[in-house]
Amino acid sequence: MQAFLDQLIADGYFAGVPPQLVYAIAIVAAAAVVIFGFVLNVAGVTTFIERRVWARIQSRIGPNRVGPQGILQWLADGIKLLMKEELVPAAADATLFKLAPYVVVMGFVAAFVAMPFSSVLIAADLNLGILYITAVTSLVVVGILMAGWASNNKWSLIGGIRSAAQIVSYEIPAALSIFTIVLITGTLSMQSIIKAQGWAPWDWFLFYSPFTFVSFWILFTALLAEGNRTPFDLPEAESELVAGFVTEYSGARYLFFFLVEWGNLYVISAILVTLFLGGWQVPHVTDNPVLLNLLQFVTFFVKSYFGVILMMWIRATLPRIRVDQLMSTCWKYLVPMAFVNFVGTAVWVAIWPNGNRPVWIAMTVLGFALLFYFFYRVEFHRRRSGAELLFSPFS
Amino acid sequence: MSLAGFEVEVEQVGQQGLETEEMTLNMGPQHPSTHGVLRFVVKADGEVMRQAIPDVGYLHRSIEKIAEKVGWHGFMPYTDRVDYVAAMFCNQGWGMVSERLGDIAVPKRGEYCRVIAAELNRIASHLLSVGTMVLDIGAITPFFHAFREREKINDLIEQLCGARLTYNYMRIGGVAWDLPPDFIEKVTAFLDRFEPMLAEYHDLISVNKLYVERCAGVAVISPEEAVNYNLVGPNLRASGVRYDVRRDEPYSVYPELEFDVPVGAAEHGVLGDSYARYAIRIREMKESARILRQCFRQMPDGPVITKVPRKFKPPAGDAYIRVESARGDMGWYAVSDGTEYPYRCKVRTGSFAAMAIIDKVSQGLMLADLVTVIASLDIVAPEVDR
Amino acid sequence: MANPVSTYLRNIIDTATTVFEGMAVTCSHFIRKPSTVQYPDRVPLRVQDTLPFRYRGILEVDLEICTGCLACERACPIDCIVIGATKDKQTKQMILTRFDIDIAKCMYCGLCSEPCPTGSIHHTPEFEGADFSLESMIRRYVKEPVAAYKPKKVETDPVVAPILERGMRYLEEFAAPEGGAPAPGADEAESAA
Repeated sequence: MQAFLDQLIADGYFAGVPPQLVYAIAIVAAAAVVIFGFVLNVAGVTTFIERRVWARIQSRIGPNRVGPQGILQWLADGIKLLMKEELVPAAADATLFKLAPYVVVMGFVAAFVAMPFSSVLIAADLNLGILYITAVTSLVVVGILMAGWASNNKWSLIGGIRSAAQIVSYEIPAALSIFTIVLITGTLSMQSIIKAQGWAPWDWFLFYSPFTFVSFWILFTALLAEGNRTPFDLPEAESELVAGFVTEYSGARYLFFFLVEWGNLYVISAILVTLFLGGWQVPHVTDNPVLLNLLQFVTFFVKSYFGVILMMWIRATLPRIRVDQLMSTCWKYLVPMAFVNFVGTAVWVAIWPNGNRPVWIAMTVLGFALLFYFFYRVEFHRRRSGAELLFSPFS
Repeated sequence: MSLAGFEVEVEQVGQQGLETEEMTLNMGPQHPSTHGVLRFVVKADGEVMRQAIPDVGYLHRSIEKIAEKVGWHGFMPYTDRVDYVAAMFCNQGWGMVSERLGDIAVPKRGEYCRVIAAELNRIASHLLSVGTMVLDIGAITPFFHAFREREKINDLIEQLCGARLTYNYMRIGGVAWDLPPDFIEKVTAFLDRFEPMLAEYHDLISVNKLYVERCAGVAVISPEEAVNYNLVGPNLRASGVRYDVRRDEPYSVYPELEFDVPVGAAEHGVLGDSYARYAIRIREMKESARILRQCFRQMPDGPVITKVPRKFKPPAGDAYIRVESARGDMGWYAVSDGTEYPYRCKVRTGSFAAMAIIDKVSQGLMLADLVTVIASLDIVAPEVDR
Repeated sequence: MANPVSTYLRNIIDTATTVFEGMAVTCSHFIRKPSTVQYPDRVPLRVQDTLPFRYRGILEVDLEICTGCLACERACPIDCIVIGATKDKQTKQMILTRFDIDIAKCMYCGLCSEPCPTGSIHHTPEFEGADFSLESMIRRYVKEPVAAYKPKKVETDPVVAPILERGMRYLEEFAAPEGGAPAPGADEAESAA
């Protein structure tokens, strides 16, 4: 690529611009193309998978007509939205109204810059990786508030304000839980946190100590709230506010909000996987770097996607909580618990700087016992219902 | 400014020098979770409501006036549309009031067929009610599970009378058709699979802490208030008042059947709150299943309908009867002037009364609770407006 | 007055356990067969063939056995049946000139098929009536004026007999409001067929 750019400069393009700047801009442009390409496709396919997952939980089949098994449904929805008329309400604040989707998309895509897909596949290995991601995903609040206010619709306004209160409040338990991991590793860099873990479950920070186990669930809950997902999806509570802060949006602008919501699932899951579930770590099965990195990428993607499906499953199961209960959950339950975890982890790291191996292994065993108990309950419910079974996800 | 005929004032609420205004919101006829076309004008101070004024009439179809045109027999299909969710009770109400006026006795087997159809319909109606209640609160899955069971009931009733929603099953003097050949086996098989499904529903959503927190303690209606505001049915019983038309003013074959009348018991929360109204409906479904099984055991043989002339001319007079519909005590009042067309027909429905209490009970609640209240009172728009 | 600390802990534990149980229920649904019927192309049988006998679908008239008694027109509460029937002075026969059913107005209540003496007007299992024009909603069953059917003690016409038999069988199922007695002549027709 460098040779190509040198050729272009020699041919007289970019006259007067220093070559370093040209290289820098070219790299940024390439990264942007790759990231946008990846992100938009993942967000789109996630909408399709969500509908199929929900459908099976609800005893029905999801979309299965557009393309084989309905795999092109998201493309059809996207094209349909792009073809719609883009209305701007007459009394709406046009500038803010039009700007809001871009702010939201910016906040969301920028998080992918520091996302560690494998040991070399990371756009920028910032040494404040996790802090950067937390900061940048909060930009969506600005966009949502703008959307709610500029719509000139009382219901949208209520949705926007609720969302702002929610996201800002839940930053605190999220940050505190993240800092328990930072205490353990002593670094904010995403790659270093992953390298401090191993590929096996008994090397993951999830089971490091009882405090990190609880901290995982607090982070999970707080990030669900950050992403406006049920049980915290009041800002877009379908049955109350029609569509909350996106009520007045149509066409491509609505598509942006839509994509951000589903793409955010991936970001949330990636954060959880990096911090607690060992990231892209795989056993060293091959010396070939390309193959190893590919394996790491696949591992990271699969683990994150499992988190995404877990969040879709939670959305299908749980009702939404009311705004005052949301606030009391955050301030009265999650924040104190997060503080207790923080202090507990600090004490733990002070006593055992390299982690307490026996407790780590014991927590892993307990974790798997909980998983087996879960599947035992699943079998109990299946047996009691006496329903006909179908294991294949295809139909 | 005036909205739909009533004046709305913008109030300046001053709090330590900070001037705030109340918002007037329109939860309009088109809304995902008002159960049908209902409109509320909500005056809210931020998230807390000060008043929720109902505006009804969007689904008014002049059904009572139509009775005067189509005659006694011809009105039966129209009664389905008075409450299309629980249509068998409306059929039964009209049949009973016409029989009272014309002094006609329904054969025993006909009465049993009526009760079977009615109780099946009660289960279907309550499934819709609890399904949409949890949907409004945000849980999207139990809604589909409830409707899956409701579809099975619709299939059963389709075999019984040929239609899935607007049944027109009953006639003046009895019912139109006897039970089809293997109906009893099919319904029993359904009931055997239905009770485990209710247990699963219970585990999924009824005891879910988030759901309980949303419903418990919301919109508490005391027994005195419930009686004063004319609430009926599950709404009344959830507040602790033990009144069920099937027990207190028995009709049809209910005196021969053994069943309990569920009354609110504050399992989670307070007596008379939204959770109690929800829990009562679940228990009523179990009681209906019990009644159905008894009916199958006790049904005698015989005709299902008494012969009533084509030109039915009841003697002049009026009659008022009550049926215990899924939504409570439904009253049917008919006036006859001796011709084959009723002089006046009037329906008194439980949902109309429940609309009145919403304004009273929603003061001080949050916006999200308004949806809970409407859903827990099981208001359906066709009943409100007829 | 419950201990606030124990209430606090109780809340946390309740939330965790009920959410766990709820997730177990929905997980058990992943492996169950969906209840969707993929109408109209991925069904084993045509849906119309699976409907029960009493299903009240779109109305149909067998003009060969219509007696022109106008009982259905009188019984219809919504005036969707329009029949033109005149008594011919010379032949003393009822001539049917018009038999229109507006299936858009019809509310599928079944009140018309009950008083029919021969089962001529009956419900079919057809329910797919959607079309692009309002005109096609009116089904016209009389192409040119025909004589109405005169019910006989024993029906011998080979064309009419099976139609009459079907009609009578239909009527048996749809008990007339007069208590279930079918029209006179049916018993003999049944035993003859």
